[in-house]
Amino acid sequence: MKLLDLDSLSDIRKIGMGKLLPGKPRIGVGLGTCGIGNGAQAVFAALERAIGAAGLDAMLVPVGCFGFCAAEPLVSVHLPGRPLVLLDRVRPEEAPDIVAAIAAHTIPESRALCRIEDWDHFTSQTHFGRGFPQIPLWRDIPFFHGQKKIVLRNCGLINPSDIEEYIAIGGYHAFYHALQKPNPLEIIEEVKRSKLRGRGGAGYPTGTKWALLQKAEADIKYVICNADEGDPGAYMNRNEIESDPHMLLEGMLIGAFATGATEGIVYLRAEYPLAVERLRRAVDEARALGLIGANILGTRFCFEMKLVEGAGAFVCGEETAMIASLEGRAGRPRPRPPFPAQRGLWGKPTNINNVETWCNIPVIIARGGAWFAEIGTSNSSGTKVFSLVGKIKNTGLVEMPLGSPLKRIVYDIGGGAPSGKRVKAVQTGGPSGGCIPASLFDTPVDYEALAGIGAIMGSGGMVVMDEDNCMVDVARYFVEFTHAESCGKCIPCRVDLDQALRMLNRITAGQATDQDLVDLEELSQMIKECSLCGLGQTAPNPVLTTLRHFRHEYEEHLRAKRCRAGICEQMFLSPCENSCPLHMRIPWFLQLLKEGRLEDAAELVWLDNPLPASTGRICQHPCENQCRRAGVDDAVNMREVHRYISDVVLEGDMLDGVLARLLARKLPATGRRVAVVGAGPSGLAAAFYLALFGHAVTVYESREEAGGMLRYALPEYRLPKAMLAKEIRAIERLGVAFEFNRTLGSNLSLDALAADVDAVFLAIGTWKGHAAGITGEDAPGVWHAIGFLEQVVRAKPPEMGRAVVVVGGGNAAIDSARTCLRLGCEVTIVYRRDRRDMPAISAEVDDALREGARLELFYTPLRVVREADGRVAGLECLRTKPGDYDASGRRTPVSTNEKVIFPCNSIIMAVGERPDAAPLRQSAIQVRENDTAAADYVTYQTNRPKVYAGGDLVTGASNVSSTMATGKAAAAAIDRQLMHQDRMSALLGTFEIAPELSVDPPGGPRNESAHLPADARRGSFAEVAAGFTPDQAIAECVRCLRCDVKETCAAHAAGGHRA
Amino acid sequence: MHAPAEPILDEAIVDEVIARYPDATGDVLSMLEELQHRHPHRYLPRPTLEQVARKTGLSRSQIYSVVTFYSFFNLKPQGRHTIAVCRGTACHTRGSRGLLESLANRLGIPPAEREQATFTSPGREVTIRTVACFGQCALAPVVAADEEIHGHMTDLKLRALADHVLTAEARP
Repeated sequence: MKLLDLDSLSDIRKIGMGKLLPGKPRIGVGLGTCGIGNGAQAVFAALERAIGAAGLDAMLVPVGCFGFCAAEPLVSVHLPGRPLVLLDRVRPEEAPDIVAAIAAHTIPESRALCRIEDWDHFTSQTHFGRGFPQIPLWRDIPFFHGQKKIVLRNCGLINPSDIEEYIAIGGYHAFYHALQKPNPLEIIEEVKRSKLRGRGGAGYPTGTKWALLQKAEADIKYVICNADEGDPGAYMNRNEIESDPHMLLEGMLIGAFATGATEGIVYLRAEYPLAVERLRRAVDEARALGLIGANILGTRFCFEMKLVEGAGAFVCGEETAMIASLEGRAGRPRPRPPFPAQRGLWGKPTNINNVETWCNIPVIIARGGAWFAEIGTSNSSGTKVFSLVGKIKNTGLVEMPLGSPLKRIVYDIGGGAPSGKRVKAVQTGGPSGGCIPASLFDTPVDYEALAGIGAIMGSGGMVVMDEDNCMVDVARYFVEFTHAESCGKCIPCRVDLDQALRMLNRITAGQATDQDLVDLEELSQMIKECSLCGLGQTAPNPVLTTLRHFRHEYEEHLRAKRCRAGICEQMFLSPCENSCPLHMRIPWFLQLLKEGRLEDAAELVWLDNPLPASTGRICQHPCENQCRRAGVDDAVNMREVHRYISDVVLEGDMLDGVLARLLARKLPATGRRVAVVGAGPSGLAAAFYLALFGHAVTVYESREEAGGMLRYALPEYRLPKAMLAKEIRAIERLGVAFEFNRTLGSNLSLDALAADVDAVFLAIGTWKGHAAGITGEDAPGVWHAIGFLEQVVRAKPPEMGRAVVVVGGGNAAIDSARTCLRLGCEVTIVYRRDRRDMPAISAEVDDALREGARLELFYTPLRVVREADGRVAGLECLRTKPGDYDASGRRTPVSTNEKVIFPCNSIIMAVGERPDAAPLRQSAIQVRENDTAAADYVTYQTNRPKVYAGGDLVTGASNVSSTMATGKAAAAAIDRQLMHQDRMSALLGTFEIAPELSVDPPGGPRNESAHLPADARRGSFAEVAAGFTPDQAIAECVRCLRCDVKETCAAHAAGGHRA
Repeated sequence: MHAPAEPILDEAIVDEVIARYPDATGDVLSMLEELQHRHPHRYLPRPTLEQVARKTGLSRSQIYSVVTFYSFFNLKPQGRHTIAVCRGTACHTRGSRGLLESLANRLGIPPAEREQATFTSPGREVTIRTVACFGQCALAPVVAADEEIHGHMTDLKLRALADHVLTAEARP
């Protein structure tokens, strides 16, 4: 049957309506590629069986994708007169229950994601019905909130393979009305009024482009749809075609009629077989109804349509390359002008638009250009569909009005990074786009604003990166891509991208020089300016934007040979080793212990970490955040294993043997003398390595014993001081001398020291409490955490009274709180942000709560409330609530104007510890605004020759392993300076390790050390964690997946192992 | 391992396909795509390409230019199975490069061959190829084994998948 007029179109519309609202239950299963990839086909089959088995009179239809990929498979259920209800993550085995519910005239409410009462297709409205008030409305789901589905108006609601359903929601009516216009120019004027810009990326005004084609005179003109969606990370065009192919055809028909084109081509990626299939079917359906072919809808307008599958060349997205490809040649672009509108396919005038551009057209014609122009911003009208993917909780297709700020999309809709990590950047626009750092997430997403920060809108791909993504690697990845896809026609793109890739390869391999960075930037600029087509002109964007916004990551790769994110594998042994500040060779000691080589394991542990028993108890264990075993079940409990190894050594009779091995490794005496100021973990680590390098080391300490914060601030229940003393004694036995009660600035002069020795390492820590700026804090009853903890360690606990408020969220706050609990106080911890923002070790916070502490979140301290006699009566706080997202992706607390007093007898301020910078300033050491010493982040050298600084003094209050790492790094730098060669790796040596690998994850579930029961901890400073038993330790070692084994073919064949 | 003999495409089949594309210039891509599809090892052997040139009048250089330009065309015989590893951005950020490496190791692909866009196991059991993007980013990282999508891939799952393909092949 051929449609000839409005009446026959209306007839089809009625038939279609009978399918969309059939007067009986209609069940739709989202059968887009992503739904199918999640098992939607099996869900469809199971529902079909269940409907048959139950004898239910219902309609089961395949629909397209509703965009919420993370919630697939999505099933929609519509009972007559009720709202359409979406069920998410449906499994085939649920089908009988779903069907049973429908048979009982209801829906399985507990499985519902949301309900839709009314829907605006923009070419018509559908009223589904009312009811199910307990199911949220679709707009109230965070993922959908703020979305405006104009392009995706029908996706997931209609059957994409049924033209009658498309006509039912008003489809092809805009085309019909366009055909009735006496002058096609009116259509072009309408498109111009809409201010629609090309959605392929460049954003050229669509109406202007059409007008060029309309003016061109030729016997034949072409309209082409660019569906060669090649940007990796972008799949909106695929979804649009799969879910609603007729909107594309209708857009092209309108465009062809307006411009006088008689032939249309869709150039579609062959990698999208389902899109190809559905579009092909749609063309056949449209042709069967006479919407394609001769004398369409009874007019003189004739139009033919062809589908061409791309053969896999990214550059064919460039319009002149696409034309070359359509002409049967290699897809190489040519210079413009002439533009395709003048000389396009086969030399004829041609107009090429992106899928999404065409899809907007029917709505613009139906609702008017002025209506459309109201949406978005004045320069970027309408909406854009973004594919939100990567490190994001809610992956999916998001359609937003242009001009929406990035953070709305990333945090509100996307829900931020999964697994609580921080979002670092968003990459927009694919290989032609740029990386936008989280600090710029206020940027509105429109063509100009994105271009302003070096990125582009592109086709709308948004790949979210978190702290585990290396931005240098991202740049390298994109250049690798564009380099491979360069057509080779022009030299800047072909040759210079190759050079850029080589430089990036050197940087990610840790083999680059500073000059490489300079060259890379210059080269990128040149490629951008000199390349022939868009591919080359934009290919350097990922490099230039990462250089602009993430230069420190490049520099870290260059100078420290470090990839913090743990991506550039050539620079590290394993993810755990890379994330360990001390770079402990974790897989090796696990393997050694597993093999029963305990003494080897101990030697390795000590070589990498001079305080293995202490760190084995209190380290923040960043290793666990990177452990690949976490992808199987839970991270390997690495910290407990090295605690076990060192406890066995220190408590048994093995220490002499281990020390003998370390002494055997000690390098010959150099005759050089190094002074270390501060016997905290950083100073001890530096002294240990400097002694092994053969230098004469003296450690000067202001207190009467070594250990720093570990000795004087760490509570006994976390770190027994007897254990620490044994570790320090071991360091002493390696040849480190100590002088106690020597305080910098009073009985120790830096100037004299520097004149006397070959190098000085300053590590005096952050012992000074810094005023938090609240009224009344400088009076009795208010303690700084470190001072309070020290008094307790010295067995002189201050009188705290019955109730204590601890302010802060770091480890010092939690240590103070748990110490007060042991002193018999009631404890309230007040923190200004959310629980997950607390810097303290999470398990410690859990323990504090278990032991009876109260946690009050979102309070900012204002003033100490005092009795008339001056005693503390409470802490007045301002109640806050989470506000907007800040640059770190955390929500900034904003005032609620509500003030709350927490009654208490004393207050511990665990915020803002600072170094005592006075002696540094006296000796002309450069000090930063927060009183920390300014030192190079790789060598820890200060502005004064021979003087180095590390630990908390440089970084501000941090944690034990990070602070020790600075001592270790400084020792290496000092030795390099004194000996003019790099001797650290030789000192650390290598170990023969068997390269065991198994296909199945070895071992069982994660082992935990036994803990004292919480009620036994009150009033007791006995150590809480007992440590591993021997069996537990071995069982834990077995769980390691051996990421250090760089599996190669050769290793496979020979069964050999890594050098 | 000894590479199996390479069957060539029957000339009659080639002629039949050519005949279906009267506009050889415009349709040469589609024609070559179909020819490759008809070959049991999904590739275009030199005699086939020469026959196309002879019969269509297109120059051999143009045909060679086309088949070497587009990544869809294979000039080497393909494995009986295909495992395609997505190298899209979303998959990359979720570790697809490591997956590709470990797959190549599993199948014993010499390092030198890995520089190619596709590589085939020595016994032609399986060809590994990379895909710029499946558009399955929500399931990243994604691997397709004989066109069936496997999402949220891990090293361990992929090794099991490769072993499955290899053992299926080893059966008589």
